[in-house]
Formats: sequence, structure tokens, C-alpha cells
Amino acid sequence: MPGPRAAVAIALLFSALAAVGCGLGPGNEVEGVDLTVTRDYGTVPMLHHQVGDVTESDTVMRALERNADVSTRYGGGFVQSIDGLEAEESVDRSLDWFFYVNGVESTVGAADYPLHGGESIWWDYRDWSAAMRMPAVVGAWPQPFLGGYEGKARPVGVECMGGGAACGEVDARLEDAGVAVPSRPPDDSIRVLVGPWSRVRTDPAAGQIERGPQASGVFADFRPDGAAYRLVGLNESGEDTVELGPGAGLVAATRRFEDPPVWVVTGGTEAAVRAAAQLLDASSLRDHYAVAVDGKQETALPVR
Amino acid sequence: MRSPFAYTPRPKPLQLASPAAAVTYLGALVAVAFLYSNPFVLLAVGIAVVLAGRLAGAWMAVRAALWMGLTLALLIVVVNALVVSRGTTVWARLGEWPVFGQVDVTAEALAAGAVLGLRAAVVMVAFAVYSACVDPDRVLRALRPLAGRSALTATLVSRLVPVAAADAARLRDAARLRGPGAAPVGKAPLARRLLAGSLDRAVDVAATLELRGYSLQSTHPAVAVTRFGAMRAKKRYGPVGGRRRSRYDRRFYATGVLVLAVAIAGKALGANSFSEYPTTEIGSGAATLAVAAIVAFSGLAPLRRSPRRTIARTPRAASTSTPAGVRS
Repeated sequence: MPGPRAAVAIALLFSALAAVGCGLGPGNEVEGVDLTVTRDYGTVPMLHHQVGDVTESDTVMRALERNADVSTRYGGGFVQSIDGLEAEESVDRSLDWFFYVNGVESTVGAADYPLHGGESIWWDYRDWSAAMRMPAVVGAWPQPFLGGYEGKARPVGVECMGGGAACGEVDARLEDAGVAVPSRPPDDSIRVLVGPWSRVRTDPAAGQIERGPQASGVFADFRPDGAAYRLVGLNESGEDTVELGPGAGLVAATRRFEDPPVWVVTGGTEAAVRAAAQLLDASSLRDHYAVAVDGKQETALPVR
Repeated sequence: MRSPFAYTPRPKPLQLASPAAAVTYLGALVAVAFLYSNPFVLLAVGIAVVLAGRLAGAWMAVRAALWMGLTLALLIVVVNALVVSRGTTVWARLGEWPVFGQVDVTAEALAAGAVLGLRAAVVMVAFAVYSACVDPDRVLRALRPLAGRSALTATLVSRLVPVAAADAARLRDAARLRGPGAAPVGKAPLARRLLAGSLDRAVDVAATLELRGYSLQSTHPAVAVTRFGAMRAKKRYGPVGGRRRSRYDRRFYATGVLVLAVAIAGKALGANSFSEYPTTEIGSGAATLAVAAIVAFSGLAPLRRSPRRTIARTPRAASTSTPAGVRS
């Protein structure tokens, strides 16, 4: 029979285990998550599911495995196929499954990414030969402004860089989506840069766009056109495909190293920036990596 | 103290069969254990090897191997549950661990570990039956024409491992016999003593082998061309080119080939249906059950038919208290 000391030690051990998040069973239920599976940069939808039975022990992989037919590799850490669509690699192209949580590419595998509830998970099957790293996308709007990323809610900062009326438009759309925008955002906030490209390009994170999709993950480029800049849409190989012109606006997201994601709402002219700001809603951005607008014509990027 | 895994000659079919036949039979069962992950088939292999060991009179070896195998299986289950967090059915959350990261014990990881452990246990029992029932000298004799040095090494290992186990048991007994007042002996000093003893024995064995001419090049029976040389070789190695066949050989060869053929055919027909992750799915179709049944029944191969008895039907024997049955 264990003595009273042993009983106390066992009770303390169990208390300590419970305090660090241990317990029997899958844990408490948390808010459901939004699961989307697409292919070819979001152009072909495969699955869209509101996953309801999410618990605190769930990971991105478990949520996917419960809702799709999945095969894995490397000890279950990486997805090899979803619903029979397999990753493949050849001389011409390399196709693989990538996932975004709240529009931010994860630095850990799906099996190691815990869910906290309310996340938007997007799996996309795409050719990564032109750009392997696409650190942030806009297709989860209004995430990551609402739920943050990597399990933490983050403040949001709107930086008006000569955007004029577009800055107010961006503020309004964020508030409509339920996002609180502080007047003085802290350093670790997710930034939204609003302004013409001639100003926005001075930001180190946004300036990556000029270095191509390999650096920024954005399949668009601004080329100097006199004093202004004209927007060029690239295809998934990174080649110029659509000349959108100086009147075209762009909404894109990128990230520099491990800094918080940066969204750019920009264009060649002030009117183009305003047009870009009007794209900030789920119907325009849903399941897209980035979106350009020329007049009323919206173009998902990369151009296909 | 004799190790339970040491070979013990018994007048049983498995011991009387030629080493090649016994190895074919037990090897087929081991091959099935590696070919299949379906728990029904693995369990059937386990039943077969336990039955074979029991019928061959190697129950002590089977019991010891079962004990060791199941302990190892339990260890594998625990390690797999801690290391692998795959699977959708979480049974326990053990928090963040320094090396493993977030540790979630899932039903699927436990099931996968159990299958790995079952395979390890089954293979251990099969090797225990082999060790206890197949004469290492006959194995050496059978393999010598093919790979003399390897055969010698294998035979020495199969002999010296049980000897080392017996040494360990003796050392533990000696330590215990010092009485309750003596300081406890740690495992490290015991292991050191055991290693030193093993090295001493290895030197002795090497010297003996050298004295008996094992280091000479022309030890192969085929080179003994003179009549005298042939006679000497025959005396030393047994009949040249001849094999002492047992009447049980055909049975074990046939069973081994049948088991292997059924296993391969079954695998082609999908009898190995088993998926660990994301949810455990165990196939129990007709093909799986048929393979499992055939494999389990193959454990009866070492069964020895009882000698026929003739009843002496003499009126006197029937009317008196003399035992009614008399061996013919």
C-alpha cells in the first residue's frame, strides 16, 4: 500500500500534468474551423467544409484526415495526396500540397500545427517550380486580421502611404469585418500598406515584390513607366502574361523573414489604389493568392 | 543452469527433421510475419509457432521467448505511442516534451505499436523454437559446403549466446547467495564480469578451433581425393555429399512451401488489408481469414502421430486384470 507521501506525490504529479495541458481524451471542444481544398492556385475547388468537431488536441493534419482521403509521407508529417491527387515531381514541373492557416504559410508541418478554433485552413495543390515559398496569401480574408496567425491574435496596423481616400476605405472594410484597428499599432502587428506603388515600394517587405515571385511569393510586378508604375500580371512560371497598366490596382500579401505578414493595397495611381481597396471583401479575395483589378476587371494572380 | 533456448535433442519430428526442412518450415512462418501487417495473420503466425514449439517439446523456450517478446512488444507500444502522434482518435494529451514536442497518445499509434510488437514477439518465438529444436551441429554440417566460415560463426553464436545467458544466471545466483547483508551488485559490474568471461571463453574456443585445424585451407571434404583422405573427411564431417534424410522432411518442406505460397497469393488478393493511420482499419475478409487459418494450422506440422496400438484380444487377457492394451 502506498503511504501518504506517495499519494501526495502522485496527486502533485497529476496536478502538474494537468497544469501543463495534459489530460485524458481529446480535450475540450473549440470553435470550428473552415477547411478548403483547391488545386492550381485556388482556381479549381475540391472541398469546402465547415469542420465542427474540433478539439484542443486537433492539428491541421487531423482536421484534414477526418474530412478527406489523405496519404502522407515522411512519417506522417507531410501530405502526399488528398482525395487521390498525388504530389509529383518531374523535369518540367513540381507539384505539391501546401497549406495556409489564416492566409499565412506555416513553418511547421501540418501534423505539428495545433488548432485553437476559428482558423481558416486552405490546402492548395500547385506547381512550385517558379516559387516554392509563398509566405502569405489574401484568400482567407478577413483572416489573419481577425484570428492572427501561428495560434496568436495579432494587432493590425494600417499604414497610409499616400493612399488618400483609399486608406479610409481600407479602415472601413476592416472594421466591417470586425477587425479593431488601433491608432498606434505595436511593432509586431500585421501591417496593411495603402498607397501608390512609388511610395509602397520603399517598405522592405513590400519591395520584395520587385524581386519576383521567388522573393515575395506575389505573381505580379510593377515596371517603371515614366514617373508612374504599370502593373504586370505573371503566370505560374513567373513569366509576364497580362499588361495591366498604370490604372490597375493590386491586393497582395507577403512576408519578410519571420516578421508579421504585410498586405499591400496599391496601384500605379491614386485611383488604382482606391480600386484595390474596394477588393477587400471575401467575394473578391476568396481562395486567391493575390488579386489585381483594372477598371471593373478582377484578375486572380498568378494569371492562368 | 541450462538456457531454455539451448538445443535439446528429443525424439520429436521437428528435431528429427533435417535442418534444411526445419529452417524451411520456421523460415516460412517468419517470412509471413514480415510480409503481413494484418493482426489476424500475425496472430495466426504466433499461434503456429507456439503450437510448433509446444509439439516439439520446446515449451520452456516458447514460454521464455513469449515473456521476452511480450515485454519487448509492450515497450514498442509505449515508445510508438510517445513518438508517433499520428491518428485522429486522441486518448491522452501529455503536453509538450523536450525531444518529442507535443505528445498525444492516439488509439491509432497504440494499434500500430501493437502490430509492430506482435511481429517482434512472433519472430522471437520462432527463433526460440529454432534454437531449441534445430541441432546447431547439423546446421553447420549442412552449411559447411556452402559457406564454411559463416556456418562456423553462426553455429558458435547459436552455442555461445545460451552459454552467456547461463553465465549471467549463475553470476546473479552467486550474487544473491552472498546473503541479505551483502551490498547489492549493480548491473554494470555483472555485465563487466560477463563480458570478461565471454572474452576468455572466446579465446579458448579460438585456440581449440586452431588446434583442430579450422584455420587450414584444405579442410573442405571435396579436396580429400585420396581414399585415406576421403575416409578421414567422412569421419570428420559425415557422409560426403550425402544427407541423412528424415521421414519428416517432406512434411516440413511441404508445409513451409504451402505457407509461403498461400501468403504470397493472399497478399496478391488483398489479404494483408490493414491501415494504421489516420484511423485503424483491420481487414477481416475471406482471403485474410483463409490465410490466417492455413498459417495457424501449419503449427500442427510437428505433430507426431501416436504409434499404432494393437489390442491383444485373447480371452485370458480380457477376463483378467492384466492391462488390456499391449504395445505391438
